[in-house]
Amino acid sequence: MSPSSSGSEAGSSSRARSGPKARFEIEDRSQVVSLWSERFGIPEEAFSGYSFYRMAQNIWAFRGPPLPRMSFETVGLRIISLKDKLWKPTTSAIQVFGVTATKNVVSLGEREAREFLAGETLEVSADVEPGYVVVRSGDDILGCGLYSRGRLISQVPKDRRLGVEAGDIRCS
Amino acid sequence: MDSLEALERYKDIVPDFGVFVKVQSSPLHASVRINTLKIGRPRLLLRLDKAGVKYRALEWYPLGLRLGPSERPGKTAEHALGYIHVQEVLSMVPPLILDPKPGEAILDMCSSPGSKTSQIAQAMENRGLLVANEPSTIRLKPLRFNCERLGITNVAVTRYDGQSFPDYTFDRVLVDVPCSSEGTARKDLKVLLRSGRKRSLNLQSLQVRLLKRALMLTHPGGTVVYSTCTYAPEENEAVVNEVLDLARLEKFSLLGLQSSQGLTEWNGETYSKDLKLCARYYPHQNDTGGFFVAKLIRL
Repeated sequence: MSPSSSGSEAGSSSRARSGPKARFEIEDRSQVVSLWSERFGIPEEAFSGYSFYRMAQNIWAFRGPPLPRMSFETVGLRIISLKDKLWKPTTSAIQVFGVTATKNVVSLGEREAREFLAGETLEVSADVEPGYVVVRSGDDILGCGLYSRGRLISQVPKDRRLGVEAGDIRCS
Repeated sequence: MDSLEALERYKDIVPDFGVFVKVQSSPLHASVRINTLKIGRPRLLLRLDKAGVKYRALEWYPLGLRLGPSERPGKTAEHALGYIHVQEVLSMVPPLILDPKPGEAILDMCSSPGSKTSQIAQAMENRGLLVANEPSTIRLKPLRFNCERLGITNVAVTRYDGQSFPDYTFDRVLVDVPCSSEGTARKDLKVLLRSGRKRSLNLQSLQVRLLKRALMLTHPGGTVVYSTCTYAPEENEAVVNEVLDLARLEKFSLLGLQSSQGLTEWNGETYSKDLKLCARYYPHQNDTGGFFVAKLIRL
């Protein structure tokens, strides 16, 4: 397009109208917050300043103003994926919000932490309910694990695992 | 060494030209940025010390670390946990000159792989609107990957052609345009095989349109930073010279990082005297890659 025809000549009052856009829909706040509080004891305040959006089978947390009218690929951090009515917290979300978790937390030693980050399944006995857990080691929040009968299955995405070197070339 | 011939045309503009050519064949060591969205600087440095990692903080940006020659930061737990991001030293410059603030509305027009985007998010303390635009579907993946790993919660990713990015008014825009990438030769000399005046002229019209659109999207008094990782004046000063009816250039510098001033003439063309206010970063001046940065204030 011709840059001169693009309109929007100056003036902070000319900010585009805000509002939810087509694909990402605003998700009910209380429902999302209570999922995290019931499972992990994460207080509501951990999500203050965030709004939640849903697209297809994913829920996103966004710490910004109401969205401009544009078409988005992602909005904030993907925090939950929904499959067959089950909700699964993402490792990204656990790493950001898991620091305030008070229950269903599994603590690992240094060596086990590396194995977990490498994607391995560990034999651990922990006082947690079966299902998704926050996995930590000291001050490090490692990510999401799936705990069942003494087995902790790492849910760290394949491309985020320890030892996998991500391509990060171009000018950067 | 055919690839180095492409640099011959810069003989009269690059200081210590012989050293400039010679340094192209010496590989760069890795460098990383500390991601303060996930870890404080003291705690991260303590971890590196404990692990015996050799590093030296940048004089002009304490969150940037040059690593020793044998370090492979991409394979560490610190990388997997998003505590650090592997980023070339000079790539940290444009976000510093953009100087985004928490709560502002910022656009990163050519965003992938998200190194500068995530540095902007960090300066914004994850608050405000950060739109990361990337037209290429294939390049969306590394952008999303990095934003997730680094725990960025205020970024919204779009996939527009930057030239026709929809109307909105931003406080600041970063335009790190597609370029001939001559400044990345220390990573791969082959990049020089494709470069030359003809290729640069081919890229120029896109670069001008992207920069013009960026300025149209910025409010008066707002900041637009234009950057490339090439030496070609056709993609640098010649592009900025085209938009001086929309913006004025502003002087900047980073204490401890050497630069050369922008050119006011090249290949028989003359540019505005103000183009001296742009910065050219050469690899032999700071032991880095190469970059060009212009800071523009919207009129």
